[in-house]
Amino acid sequence: MANKQIDDKQQNVTNPAPEQQPASAAETNFAPIGAALEEAPTQFDVERAIKRQKTLRIVKDVFVYIFLTICAVLAFLPFYWMVITSLKNEWEYRAITPTFFPTQGVVWKNYEIVLSSTDNSQNNFGQILVNTLVVGLLSTVIGVIITVITAYAFARMNFKGKNALFALMLATMMIPGEMYTISNYQMTRGWEWNNTYIVLILPFLVSVYYTYLLRNNFMQIPDSLYQAAKVDGLSDFGYLVKVMVPLTAPTLVSITLLKFIGTWNSYIWPRLINNDESWQMITNWVTGGFTDMNGVLYNGDVFQWISNTESLTTLRMAAVCMVSLPLFVLFIFCRKYIMRGVSKSGTKG
Amino acid sequence: MADKNAQDVSAEVETTETQQPASKQKTNAFVAFWKNLGGKVKGVFGGWSNKSPRHVEADLVLNQQQQLSTGEKVKRALKAQSGWLFVAPALLLMLLFTFYPIVSAFINAFKQDLDLTGNYSGWGFDNFVHVFKGDTGTGGATFVQCLINTLVFTLVSVPLSTLIALLISVALNSIKAVQKAYQTILFLPYLTNSLAMGAVFATFFTLVNSGSGTNVGLINQFLGLFGIPPTDWMGIGAPVWELGDAVKIYWTKYLVVIIYEIWSGLPFKILILFSALQSVNKQYYDAARVDGAKRSTILWKITTPMIMPQISYLLVTGIMGGMKQYTAVVGLFGSKMGLQFEVGTMVGYVYQYIEGGSPKYGYAYAASLLLFAIIMVITFINNKITGKRSH
Repeated sequence: MANKQIDDKQQNVTNPAPEQQPASAAETNFAPIGAALEEAPTQFDVERAIKRQKTLRIVKDVFVYIFLTICAVLAFLPFYWMVITSLKNEWEYRAITPTFFPTQGVVWKNYEIVLSSTDNSQNNFGQILVNTLVVGLLSTVIGVIITVITAYAFARMNFKGKNALFALMLATMMIPGEMYTISNYQMTRGWEWNNTYIVLILPFLVSVYYTYLLRNNFMQIPDSLYQAAKVDGLSDFGYLVKVMVPLTAPTLVSITLLKFIGTWNSYIWPRLINNDESWQMITNWVTGGFTDMNGVLYNGDVFQWISNTESLTTLRMAAVCMVSLPLFVLFIFCRKYIMRGVSKSGTKG
Repeated sequence: MADKNAQDVSAEVETTETQQPASKQKTNAFVAFWKNLGGKVKGVFGGWSNKSPRHVEADLVLNQQQQLSTGEKVKRALKAQSGWLFVAPALLLMLLFTFYPIVSAFINAFKQDLDLTGNYSGWGFDNFVHVFKGDTGTGGATFVQCLINTLVFTLVSVPLSTLIALLISVALNSIKAVQKAYQTILFLPYLTNSLAMGAVFATFFTLVNSGSGTNVGLINQFLGLFGIPPTDWMGIGAPVWELGDAVKIYWTKYLVVIIYEIWSGLPFKILILFSALQSVNKQYYDAARVDGAKRSTILWKITTPMIMPQISYLLVTGIMGGMKQYTAVVGLFGSKMGLQFEVGTMVGYVYQYIEGGSPKYGYAYAASLLLFAIIMVITFINNKITGKRSH
C-alpha cells in the first residue's frame, strides 16, 4: 500500500513537465502563426518529452540505487570481513595483498582453539558462557518481573506519594551512571561481593526507562477492564497477571530481549568488579589475548614471524564471530520486537 | 476520577468478604438502602447521572467505613496503600544502588585521600583541583584532553551520521523495488557488540608486519588506489597536532573513532527517520510538485522541516549518549584507550581512577561530578536550541 503511494509520488516527482507539455502543445495548436506547428509536430514533441522524462527518471533511480548499494555494502563489509578473517590463517591475513576469500584453505581450527583453550584462563570460553547465561537469564527474568509490578503500581494503583516517587525515579535518568557506578563499586567491594554473580545481577535489576515505557503501555488499557475484573473478584495481582500482561505482551517481549542483550553486551561493570577473569562476561572475553600459546597452529612457523605469545587477529575474529552470532540470530528472528522496542526506548542494546 | 471509582469497587469486593457482626450488617443495610434511595433520587435529578448503579453502591460502601471498627479502618487504610508493596522491590534496590550512591558521590567527591574502606584524611576541594590541574591518573591523559576528545567525537559523528541517515532514508523512501532488502541490510549493524565490532574496525586501519613487508590494512589499500600514501592511522606513527602543552590532537585516530561511530549509529537513525518519512502527509509533496519544486528543494524545504522533531530528537539523544561513550573507543584502541590514553573519553577518565594498582576514589568522584555538570550544561543548551526551533 505504502509502496504504491510512493510509486505514484515517484511518477509525480519526476514528471512535472508532462503537465506543462500538453498546455504548450495546445497553445501551439491554436496559435495563429503555424510556423512552429510545421517545424515541430505536437505529437512528436509530447512523446519526446515523455521519453526524456523517462530517461531522466531512470538515471535518477540508478543514482539512488547506486547510492543505496554503496551504503549497504559499507554496512555489511565489517561483518563479511570478520567472518572471512576468522577463517583465514594468520599468514594469509597478514599478506600484503588482502584477499577477500580464504584462498589458503578454510581454517576451522581457529574456532577450535578459541573455544577450547582451557589452560589459558583468559580464554576459558565455557566458564565465560555459563557466567553470561546465568547472569543474563536471572537478571532478565527478575528484572522484567520487577519492571512489570512496579509499572503496574504506577499505572493502576493509588497510594500516597506515588507521583512524587515516580518523578524521583525518572529524575535519576538525568544522572550519568558513572556517578553511581563508582559508589556501587566501593560499596560492593566493601561487602566483599566482588567475584560473585550477585554483584553482576543486583545493581542492574531496576530499569527506570523500561518501567516508564511499560507504565505508559499499561495506562492505555481501558479502565473498564479493570473494573470488570474487580467485579469478577480478581485481585490486583490477578488482574495484572491475567489481563495486563497478555495485553502488553509485545512490549514485554521487547523489554525482555533488550534486557538480555544489555547483559550480553555489558563490559565495564564486570571488568571493574570481577577482576578474576573466570567471573567475567562474554564481552570481556573478546578483549582477551587470543594467542597460539600451545603452538597448535603456528609452531615451527617457517617464516619465523608469528610467535606463541603474539595476539592473533584471526583468533580474535573467531571470538568476535562467536559473540556476534547470537545477536545476529536474535536480530533475524525477533527483528520486529527489537526494532519496536529500540525505536520506543531510544537505547541501543 | 475513573481510578477513584475503581478503588471504590475494590472496597466493595473487600466488604463482602470480611466478617461483620450481624447487627452492624443490618444497620449498614438499612443505611445503605436510604443512601441508595437518595442516590437514585439524585441520579434522577442529574447530579450523579454519570455514575452507574454499581458506582453508587460502591460509594455507599465507602460511606459505611465510618461505622467500621478501628482495626478494620487500619486494614482499609493499609489496603489503600498496598501500591507500596508493589513498588517495594524496585524501591529498595534503587535506594541501595541508585539513590544512596548518588548522594554519597556528592559527599565523597569532597573527601581527601579516600580509600576503598571509606577512610579519608579531610574535607576540601583537593580532588577537583587535581582533576582540573591536569592530573593524568593511571592512564596518561588529562581531563581537558579527554573532554576535547569526547566533544570532537560527539559533535562530528552525531550530526554527520544524522545527515547521512537522512539521505539514506530519503533514498530508501523513494524506491519501490527491493526496498525491504536494502532496509534489512542497512539495519544489520543495529544489534552489535561494540567491543567486538570495534576490534573488526581496528583491523581495517592497523598496519601489520607480514614478514616480507607491511600489510597496510584495507583502508590504506583503498586510498592507495587514488595515489594516497599509507598512513599509520592508529599506531605509534599516527600524525599529531599539538595544541599547547597538554592537548594533543591525533586526528587520524579521531577519524577512526568517528567512522566507527557513524557506522554503528546509522541503523537506529535510519529506523527513526525512515518511519518518520513514511508518515509525512503526501499532499505536501504533491503541492510542491505542482509548484514545480526541484527534488533538492523538496528535500530541504519540505521533508526536513516535516521530520524536524525526529531529527532534533536524534541529535539530542545522540549527543547525550556520545558524551558518555566508552566501549567503542575501548573496542577500537584497547582498554588503555590508545597507547597513552590519548583518545580517552571522559567516562574512561573517570574509570581509570578506580582501576589499577593505586586507585584514587576521590578523584574518580570529582571527575564524575564534572562529567555530570558538563552533561547538564549540554542538556541545557540542547533544550534552548530545540526549544527555539520549535517556536
